[in-house]
Amino acid sequence: MNIVAQLAAITGAEHVQENGVISIAPANSAELSEIVRVAAGVKAALVPVGGGTRRTMGLPLVALDRPVVEIRTTRLNQVIEYVPEDMTISVGSGMTMAALQAAVAVNGQMLPIDVPLPGRSTIGGILACAADGPRRLGYGTVRDLFLGTAVVEARGRGSKAGGMTVKNVSGFDMMKLYIGSLGSLAIITSANFKLLPIPRAAATIACEFETLGAAFALVDALATSKLVPVACEVVRAEGGQGFGLCVAAEGLPQSVERHRRDVAAFARTAGASGVDLLEGAEHTAFWARIQDLPQAADVAADEIVVRVGTLPSAFGAALESATKLAVKHGVSLQFSGRALNGLGYLRARGAGWKAFHAELLTALPQAAIVVLGLGSPDPGVNMWGRPPAGLDLMRRIKHEFDPENALNPGRYLV
Amino acid sequence: MNTAELLAELRRIVGDRGVVSNPDALMTYNADGCVMDTHSPDVVVIPTTTEQIVAVVKLAHREKIPVIARGAGTGLSGGATPVNGGIVLVTARMEKILEIDTRNGRARVQPGIINFELTAQLKSRGYHFAADPSSQKACTVGGNIANNSGGPHCIKYGITGSHVLGLQVVLADGTCFWTNDGTPELPGYDLTGVVVGSEGTLCVVTECWIKIMPMPESTRVVMALFRDILPAAETVSAVIAGGFLPAALEVMDGGALKAVNDAYNMAIPPEADAALIIEVDGVDEGLDDLIAEIIQIARDKGAIEVRPARTAEEQVKVWSARKNAFGAMGRLAPTYHLVDTVVPRTKLPAIMRDVKRISKEQNLQIVNVFHAGDGNLHPIVLFDRTNADQSARAHKAVEEIMRLSLAYGGVISGEHGIGIEKQEFMPFLFSADDLGAMAALHSAWNPDDLLNPGKIFPRKAGAPKLAAARRAAGSDEGGIAAIVAKHGDKVWI
Repeated sequence: MNIVAQLAAITGAEHVQENGVISIAPANSAELSEIVRVAAGVKAALVPVGGGTRRTMGLPLVALDRPVVEIRTTRLNQVIEYVPEDMTISVGSGMTMAALQAAVAVNGQMLPIDVPLPGRSTIGGILACAADGPRRLGYGTVRDLFLGTAVVEARGRGSKAGGMTVKNVSGFDMMKLYIGSLGSLAIITSANFKLLPIPRAAATIACEFETLGAAFALVDALATSKLVPVACEVVRAEGGQGFGLCVAAEGLPQSVERHRRDVAAFARTAGASGVDLLEGAEHTAFWARIQDLPQAADVAADEIVVRVGTLPSAFGAALESATKLAVKHGVSLQFSGRALNGLGYLRARGAGWKAFHAELLTALPQAAIVVLGLGSPDPGVNMWGRPPAGLDLMRRIKHEFDPENALNPGRYLV
Repeated sequence: MNTAELLAELRRIVGDRGVVSNPDALMTYNADGCVMDTHSPDVVVIPTTTEQIVAVVKLAHREKIPVIARGAGTGLSGGATPVNGGIVLVTARMEKILEIDTRNGRARVQPGIINFELTAQLKSRGYHFAADPSSQKACTVGGNIANNSGGPHCIKYGITGSHVLGLQVVLADGTCFWTNDGTPELPGYDLTGVVVGSEGTLCVVTECWIKIMPMPESTRVVMALFRDILPAAETVSAVIAGGFLPAALEVMDGGALKAVNDAYNMAIPPEADAALIIEVDGVDEGLDDLIAEIIQIARDKGAIEVRPARTAEEQVKVWSARKNAFGAMGRLAPTYHLVDTVVPRTKLPAIMRDVKRISKEQNLQIVNVFHAGDGNLHPIVLFDRTNADQSARAHKAVEEIMRLSLAYGGVISGEHGIGIEKQEFMPFLFSADDLGAMAALHSAWNPDDLLNPGKIFPRKAGAPKLAAARRAAGSDEGGIAAIVAKHGDKVWI
């Protein structure tokens, strides 16, 4: 029996496609374990796929002499356990972020991870890519909210870690290992999260500046204040002349009012050319647009999407450098970034994109620069930036988890 | 290398003052706060620099001697107990703050700094380190990292893991590097994340970048007294369900309240059998209204008295009573066993009823002081360890509480770690394959099991055996448990 027939026997033929690559969608983790065992028998390369919004992240797959089996998690999309009063939820890794938010919003709850394209991005993909959102300032990232998981490993073994409680030090924190590992260690089948109450009030203070320096004067003022905004996003939009500094406040109505008042005053002192206050549907729609800016699903042929991490104090200067390099290489540059965290997403478009990216790596030697999306995959692009310390140890970890190098071979930096 | 040669080599590395080898002195290091099992180390080393630690670890690696890192020894799970002997590496002389960088929200510290001293230094600049375990006056930041410690305020601010940005680590072979310096989203596996909570079994931490946050502008604390622990637990559920995001939600039951009242003279009325401490913080605007709403919830649930603590002095008094509650237990019995376990929040009232029943059945007093907002309970079983019968009943009580926690969907440790205290409970929560994945991670870091051996994993199985069984298992075989059965090697408990 050939491999396609063997796989079809597991899920039913309607869930298997073959088009150069074999693509299969298991209904549950037991089926996935079977698929992985069959695939291991023919030394296939396994490529886990969620919503497919970051298909160009990482290096090209290295699977010259082996079959490629793409594991689609789309059918692992159920709520597995949800007791609203416990404010925790367990979901299948193929559930989209939008579906998860809808499931918990009816109980006044949220998972404040505002990833791009929430209607398509799946929980498994978000974890594997360590996707974040503007409200990481107020609520952290998946690292702070991911309580437990179940995975299928490279030889088909299922294992779990963590649990459904908001505190847990029972054994190693394996969740941290899987976050951002780009499916190189195991295939995530379910994830448990801590939820938070939807705040009673929320508002946006959207400030416009003519220069990045002035925008960062407001960032500095916020950093040394007692204010606790949940997002502080610096934005340069397509075709825009200036820079936006968008601050979100959430919580008690009186607290939000205080933030509106103080942030507006700080913005005027910093030299803002405009300050807008947004509430209700306007506020929601505004942040939905900002959260999609770094999307890497729809990237033009002459475009690159890059994530840049720096120490917060170096972030303004890093964006200044990028802006100058964009002019030098004749590319149009858009960016959005968590100004108080030191994490930005750059979209550079134009014939000079490759030179822009190469020089960005040289100009910012201390920064963590990772390519999230590439319109024209090119082996000459340094996708992961400067190698991290501890690479030998990371290779040993990969080897322990995946000795045959079956999971996403070649794509991760290890 | 014989013992004399080993001692000479260690003295050469850390100096005469840095080596403890007198058998009487070694007994000081034969356990941490968990005294159920004691074992003296062969030698204690007290280094002052990272370079010294690297040299000690390299020597131990060459000679295949276990190395057990130890902070203040306040751990409650036996994580610092040298069960196989070896070198205990004490961080007591590496207790400096090396850098405070407020603009980047970080501080670089040595692992031996006492949590409370760090907090005091940061406070004078208007900042704080969010992890604040009850033992903070004695415990070290290195120990907090090893155990991923919690504390009353992690309901809002998260556990230690959310506040560690990067670590300087020494691997089992002496390789030393920084995992991160606070740069967000470094590519590569999150080594920092897996080291936190690994109880010194993966590497030795020699310096840390920790996250520091501005102190909140305002804080309100209220203590509500109840006739029974159940309405206190129900108030916690109602506050959480109401969408409030308190900074702390702590419960003490009647036994704890009485001990604390006797020690601190808090004028607690005799009819009070439980106290709930609620703290909210943030910008000043709205906090008074918020605390008023919470007080109303407590009254609706039957609070007999509410004591708002508005001034800093009043708040310190309330908190010191809570944080010193464990110390006050000494007034009640010669020994106590503090059980650290977590259940989903809504199961708190049910498990509190069970703990009362177990207390009656075993005829032992059990008092409760716990982080109610997180579902993290700490039943304290009081007994006399010189009385064999009491000890046996205490052990039964502990085991039943653990089993009930798991039955309610909980886990086996919320913030104290596994160490040796709970290593045999691990298979109740995790399958052989779950433990195998953890063993694989362990094996990549600590292949010869020299760093803090004999911890976390069930003693007979052990990380090296599990990792080896996992490696041997082919894709057609049903996992580690099957391999173990097939090869007849009884590694399982």
